[in-house]
Order: sequence, then structure tokens, then C-alpha cells
Amino acid sequence: MNTLLSEKHRAIRKAVRSFCDRELTPIAAAIDQEARFPWEAIEIMGKLGYFGIQAPTELGGAGLDSLSYVVAVEEVSRSSGAIGLTITVHNSVAVHPILSFGTEDQKNRWIPPLARGEKIGAFCLTEPNAGSDASAIEATAIRKNDCYITNANKVFVSNGGVADLCLIFARTDPGAGRKGISVIVAERGTRGYSVGEPEDLSGMRANPVCSIRLYDCRIPLENLLGKEGAGLQIALETLDTGRLGIAAQATGISQAALEASFRYARERQQFGTSIGSHQAVQGMLADMATMVDAARLLVYRAAILRDEGKPFSREAAMAKLYASEISTAVTDRAVQIHGGYGYSKAYAVERYYRDARVTRIYEGTSEIHRMVIAKGILEEYP
Amino acid sequence: MSFHCIACIKAAALKAPAKGMKKNSDTAQMNPFDRIALALAVNVARSCGGMITALSMGPASCSFVIYEAMAMGADKGILLSDRRFADSDTLATSTALAAAIKRLAPFDLVVFGARTSDSDTGQVGPQTAVALDLPLVSGTFDFEWKNSFFLAHRKMDEFRETYEVTLPAAFTIHPSSITPPDIALENIETAWTKKIAFWSLEDLELRADQVGLEGSPTRVISQKMAARKRHCEFIEGSVEEQAEKFVRKIKEKGII
Repeated sequence: MNTLLSEKHRAIRKAVRSFCDRELTPIAAAIDQEARFPWEAIEIMGKLGYFGIQAPTELGGAGLDSLSYVVAVEEVSRSSGAIGLTITVHNSVAVHPILSFGTEDQKNRWIPPLARGEKIGAFCLTEPNAGSDASAIEATAIRKNDCYITNANKVFVSNGGVADLCLIFARTDPGAGRKGISVIVAERGTRGYSVGEPEDLSGMRANPVCSIRLYDCRIPLENLLGKEGAGLQIALETLDTGRLGIAAQATGISQAALEASFRYARERQQFGTSIGSHQAVQGMLADMATMVDAARLLVYRAAILRDEGKPFSREAAMAKLYASEISTAVTDRAVQIHGGYGYSKAYAVERYYRDARVTRIYEGTSEIHRMVIAKGILEEYP
Repeated sequence: MSFHCIACIKAAALKAPAKGMKKNSDTAQMNPFDRIALALAVNVARSCGGMITALSMGPASCSFVIYEAMAMGADKGILLSDRRFADSDTLATSTALAAAIKRLAPFDLVVFGARTSDSDTGQVGPQTAVALDLPLVSGTFDFEWKNSFFLAHRKMDEFRETYEVTLPAAFTIHPSSITPPDIALENIETAWTKKIAFWSLEDLELRADQVGLEGSPTRVISQKMAARKRHCEFIEGSVEEQAEKFVRKIKEKGII
């Protein structure tokens, strides 16, 4: 057990695990294969507070700290990486920026239904020509009378197919370069708002990752989040929190793969003994367990710093980089330990392997994270 | 009608105790049978506007069960915690619980899980009821308040019984009574901001020889996890013959 967790945090882990073991684990394989968003489980999760984990209680949230948040995301992801993605995207990059940058009116209007899971949020930054280079976005939101005429083609939007509220990054001042980007909140149902078909992805298949297109969408001026031109600053601040969630998600997937591997290594008999008694398998298990523990400690450290109000950006980047990198290593070894069965959909490790892969890509690729971490450290050594 | 309900809960061991092992949230859990009793009590209190006190006995490291009870809906929590309570058997435990319950008067209902997952005696509920001179309905699976009288529905083997009960009374709750609901995250946070009371031997006005090892006429001298032996046997023949042989075998073993 982890000594960094208080009894309260352990109680959160226990409560989330108990719910997920009963409601999510049994359906995780099916919703992956059917690429189905499990509304029945999502509705319960909304009532239990999973959609407003850190939102204040007066706005309908659960009012928990960051450490509780990462514990909860890890546990949900241990059962289903795709639902872990839904929870972390909604909390980290939809609810959180509205709480941080929204006006009182915006918070009162948007947070309560989001925190109860009655509405689902999404974050729309990526475009066909703007991925790692967020400043290259082409979407525009041009102020005209009482609204922004918004045109955007956003792709790979996690939660996109079910989102009611999207944070759209668009240029409000196309001539102002990086300083001309703003965040406009677009609500589903607005004329000109359309949702593409779900992407046929390798993993995270229960999450309806879609493109969101806005054609001459008239979005009221009061839907501007923060100030005009503050878009990139909001994106960077939001992604710090987002990284924490993705790091926790990757750790949860790794943990699931680790547990499955230990179970299988004890059960599977070869050469007249369990494969867990073979040194080669033990070596893999030991490395996996150590990597998962190290990732979790990095995640907790970043969360604790955030709770203490200290800078946590680099620590969150390290946690995200490491937890995602090891999740592909850990799930890969889990498949190896399971042998041919691990390559079959009959065993959950096959899904963990597919789900883990994207954690190195989204919410900032590993390469971008390495750049950010190295730049920050280099600046300290002039 | 507004009830005061006292729910007695135990931090039940998850592992056989080893030397130096501390009972805490890693090695123990809220007894699953008590969780059911508490959940039923919460339901009753919610529908009748009552309040619930969670009561447990154990070292301070077991206070997590009280917080968990509060996250499930208990309004306040008390942990009987004193080194002199250590090694109490079911009788000494009942003595301590009864003393605490007296101190919590006035009360209407005292509920217990049917048994515990780590010792399975099922004695603490009935013994505490005797110590308090309270009527007891065991195996209760539901409560009902009918204008001026209180009904307890009881389930035992093939029978369903309905008792009219004069309160205050004690109840042990049938495991099939209710599925404890999931705990909302906000309630965990709120529970942990509350304070729980720790009561010592002096608070209960008991003598040291009434509790702990001294107050226990029975003592556990060894405890280990039971190795479950499994035996696999193949029954041959046609489907009808297999069914007949199977029925004969389980009859011989007294299973049916």
C-alpha cells in the first residue's frame, strides 16, 4: 500500500474500486468491442460525483483534492481505459478551465449540469494541421454584433460524440498570431454545430472520439472563456491539469495489466509448474511492478504539489511522460506473459495493450513533453 | 416518528493476524454484514427523519470504519478505543458495546450485522441485546413504521415472519436485506471533515476486569486462513443416470 495516501484517499480508492469492479469491469470488454458509450454506467457515475470530482460542492461537485482526483481516475481506468478517458477529459479539460477562467455567471450556468454528469464536456484544440503545434490552429471566431461567427474543424475530440459543451480554440484576431487565439464555449444544438462519425480507433473504443465542425456558428459573446487572446495561456494551464489526469489514467491501465499478469503467472502451468516460478517471467513481473509503482509516485507527487498550491507543471509533465511510456512497456510485457492468449481478445491484456498506446500521443506527445521538461531544466543552468 | 438508531460495526480482519500486524484499512474492512445493517438503518432513518450513530470498538487505526459509516449516511461516530479493550471476546465486546449504547440513550433501534466475516460467531448482537435487556429480532430484513407500531420483517430459512416490536429494540439484519448503495465521492469528503468521538474504559464506567482478556471467558489461541480443500469427481453414465447418481451423492452428504 502506498504511504502517501491518507485514510480518506484510501476510502476514495476503495469506493471507486468497489463501484468499478461491479459496474465497469464486467462491461469493459463488450463496450470496447461494440465501441459503445455505456450511458447506463455513466448516469450512475454522474450521481456519484465522478463528473465533478474537484468542482466545489456548492456548484454540484464532489469538492475533492487533486490527490483524490488522480486516485479516482486511476481506479476507473483500471477497469476501463476508455471511461477513464471520459472522466479525465471532462474533469480536467472541460470543468477545470471553466472553473479557473469562467465568470461567475458562466460557472453558475455550466458547472452544475457538468458536475452531475447531465452534460458532458470536451476540449477542442487539435485540427488536421495543428497537433503538437497548437499555435497553428486555423479555426476562427470573428466578433460580429452580439456573437462570434465561428468556423472550426476540430478532430480527435475525446468525448466528442456525446459532448454537450465544447471548448473551442479559435482565432478571434487572425492577424495577431499566438496572441489572437481565444476559447469559445460552443453548445451542442447551436445552428451550424455538427458532429462527425466516431473515429475507428485502435483503443479507447468506448469513448466516442469524433470530429466537431462549426460552420458559421453564431456563438453569443458571453460564451467567451477568459479574455480574448488568452487562448494559448488557457490551453497551457489546462493541459498541466490534463496531464495529471492522463498520467493517472495510464497508471490505471498499467495496474490492470500488472494484476492480470500476476494472476496468469500463478495459474498458467508449463514445464510442470506455474510460469510465475520461471525466472524469466519473474524478471518481467518485477520490472512491471517497479515501473507501475514509480509512475504512481510521480503522479501522486504532482497531485500533492498542486494541492499545496505549488508549481507542478514540470512534475505533471514528468508524470505524464513516464506513466504513458511505461504503460506501453507494461502492457506489452503483460501480453508477452500471456503468450498467444494475450494476443487474443479472450484476455483483457489485449485491450490494455491497445488502450495504453495512445497515452503517449494525446494531451501532449512524449516528444513534446521531453522538450518541455528539458527546456525548463536547461533554463535553470544558464 | 424520528428515530435514533445505533449501528454497531466492526473492522473485520482481511488477513489472519500475524505478529506485529496492525489492524488498519489495509488489513481490515468494514464487516460486509454490518455494511448491510448500516445501509438498512440509513434507509429507515432517511424515510422517518431519524439520525444514526455508528459505534465500533477497536484501536484508533480502525477509525476508518467509522468514517466510512459516516460516508454511508451515519450522522455521528464513536470508537471505543482503549488498550484495555484489546483481546475482548464476544462477551466482553458486548459488555463494552452495551455500556456505550446506554450512554447514547435515548435510542430506538440498535442494529447489528448478522455475523462477521472474520469470526462468524453471530453472538455480539444477541449478547448486547441481553446486556441491555432489549427485545431482539434476529434475521430482520426490513422495517416498517405503521402509524403507532413498529414492524420488523424477519427471514429465516423458509419462513417469513412479521413482528410487532416495542421500541427500543435490537435487531440483527439478514444479509439479503439490502444491497448497500455506492458511496458518492462528496460524502467521503464530508465524512472526513467530521470529528469522531473516542471513548475509553472510564467513559463507559466499566471496570478493567469486565473487558479485554480479563473479561473474556473464551480466548482465541490460534487463527489462520483455512485451506479450502476441493475434490473433483466425474460422474459417468447417461444424463439421467448422472442426475440420479448426483442426487444420491448429495443426499448421502446431507446437503439435501
